Amino acid sequence: MEQARNYVCTECASAVPSGHKFCGACGAGVPNEAQTLETLFFGALQMPGKARLIVVRGDEAMGEGLSYLLQATEHVAGREADQIPFPSDNWLSPAHANFLYRGEKLVVRDEGSLNGVYIRIRGASPVQIGDHFMCGQQLFRIDATPKDTSGPEADQTHFYSSPRRPSAFRVTQVLEGGMDGIVCCAHEQSVQIGREDCDINFPDDVHMSPRHARVEMSGESLELVDENSQNGTYVRIRGERELSHGDYLFLGRNLLRVEVTA
Amino acid sequence: MIVCSRCSKENQDHYKFCLGCGAELPRQSSKPRSFSAPTPPGGTPSQGRTTNAPQVPQAQAGRAEALASAPQLELDPAPVEPARAKPVAVEDLLPPELAPLGEETSPCPHCGSQVPENFRFCHVCGDDLHAEASGEAFGDAPAERVSAPAVADAPQPAAARARLVLIQPDGSEGESFPLSGGRTLIGRGTGGIFANDAYLSPEHAEFRFEGDQLVVKDMESLNGVYIRIEPEVPIELFDGSIFRVGQEILRFEAPVAPDPAADGTQYMGSPHRGYLGRIALMIGRESTGNSYPIPPQGIHLGRERGDVVFPEDGYVSGLHCRVNSEVGHVFLTDVGSSNGTFVRVSNESYVPQGTFVLIGQQLFRAEY
Repeated sequence: MEQARNYVCTECASAVPSGHKFCGACGAGVPNEAQTLETLFFGALQMPGKARLIVVRGDEAMGEGLSYLLQATEHVAGREADQIPFPSDNWLSPAHANFLYRGEKLVVRDEGSLNGVYIRIRGASPVQIGDHFMCGQQLFRIDATPKDTSGPEADQTHFYSSPRRPSAFRVTQVLEGGMDGIVCCAHEQSVQIGREDCDINFPDDVHMSPRHARVEMSGESLELVDENSQNGTYVRIRGERELSHGDYLFLGRNLLRVEVTA
Repeated sequence: MIVCSRCSKENQDHYKFCLGCGAELPRQSSKPRSFSAPTPPGGTPSQGRTTNAPQVPQAQAGRAEALASAPQLELDPAPVEPARAKPVAVEDLLPPELAPLGEETSPCPHCGSQVPENFRFCHVCGDDLHAEASGEAFGDAPAERVSAPAVADAPQPAAARARLVLIQPDGSEGESFPLSGGRTLIGRGTGGIFANDAYLSPEHAEFRFEGDQLVVKDMESLNGVYIRIEPEVPIELFDGSIFRVGQEILRFEAPVAPDPAADGTQYMGSPHRGYLGRIALMIGRESTGNSYPIPPQGIHLGRERGDVVFPEDGYVSGLHCRVNSEVGHVFLTDVGSSNGTFVRVSNESYVPQGTFVLIGQQLFRAEY
């Protein structure tokens, strides 16, 4: 109502205090709109509010709990981005991801980043060889089983290898810095990941549930299954992914929650 | 051979416990060993040793063959029985007292030094004179050595200076393969006990002597030559070092990180706990299976215990070996496994007396 108090009479240019229906100087009427004016933000003038991002866990410099309203058409997040900057996270590329609208839908697009954008899966998600995923603090890659090269050499000498068990695929741990860590070949048709009694165990990872997730081969297709873990299982998106209310995303070290308000 | 008094299983002389029932075996069997003692270097007996030898009754057929090569002894010209010698109760034949210290000497078969007759080991080179001579327990009189070269098993080439004794799957000794003082090439192409091993390259390895030391050289074979390491003696691992535990072939890989991205972005990933590298299971010529990063405090490998377990490999001991780091280097240590930890020879290596050598599918003990 601040603006209404400063309403200027269109007839005589005198200031009209708020609440007055007529100008005190010239007696001209004050229009109805001016009497009921409210403060509006500029962004709201461009587009009605649709979605926002909330930093659940993240960048020290930017602080947690920060929220970004997604009211323009494109919003770039990254280490050197203007709209959604995370300047102290060196796992983010300068321009890492873009939040944009396709019609009424909010989508996130990986802007060719080094480390990618991860989305929390709900239940199970189809995956393929080469996909990356996260459980707790751990990052993994799904790899193909190398071809069996146990055939004899040209001189009929056989290669002596460790006992080889049939394995449909393997899960490789990726360490920070890019080096490969643990490799676990699928025993039967699945690899179970967790804190204890699994195929790959991380007893020291407090963000890992006892049985966290598994990668499973069913028929010809692979599936990543979250086993109701406390902190969720995240899969790296390929290209672009539609978002919906309640989705969680990892951009580098930053965990974001998507809220769609419209 | 020590026969277990409890279960009658035959055990090798150096065993402390019975392979069959685990009962403790007598430390030093007073029984004479079989006469399959190795041929001394050069294949002929040391003449000096015969000087104070008592005449051995010629009726001892098994000895006669051996003595035939000792020129200073007169032998009955009648043909001697070439059959396998039976162990003789030598104690009965020999004077029980030892020669006085330093009075009589005989040349050491290895270094030629004059060694007092009552010495069991050469005081110059440390060679075990008794083992060399007859394989009998300490305490036998020097005269016993006369019969030392009594090799009554299959006749061996005169030039044999060492041998590879085949260790059969049940742990007993099988055939042996002689190694000359020169170069001996073995492989699938050299025939004999190696002919049927498909894991041997046609020319697989070469043995030779460097002074007193036996040396093996890998002739760029496909599967390599492995040598058993001593328990509790750390062996340094380098990038690409290969070792064998039970049936598992493992490779040590030094940490290799990709180059950082040009825009300063770091590779994201699981927490890096200062890993020293990793151990990868070899499942093909160039392909690896399960792999395990090695944290700074090291890891243990075993069938039941440890950080890396092979529950399905019965040749791996409960706790088998460890890989750890000291002063910036990475070491492999066998922690007293039953079947041993074997390291693949890179190019060539010394083979100390008694070392187990794994070539292709077969295990040998080097004796010289």
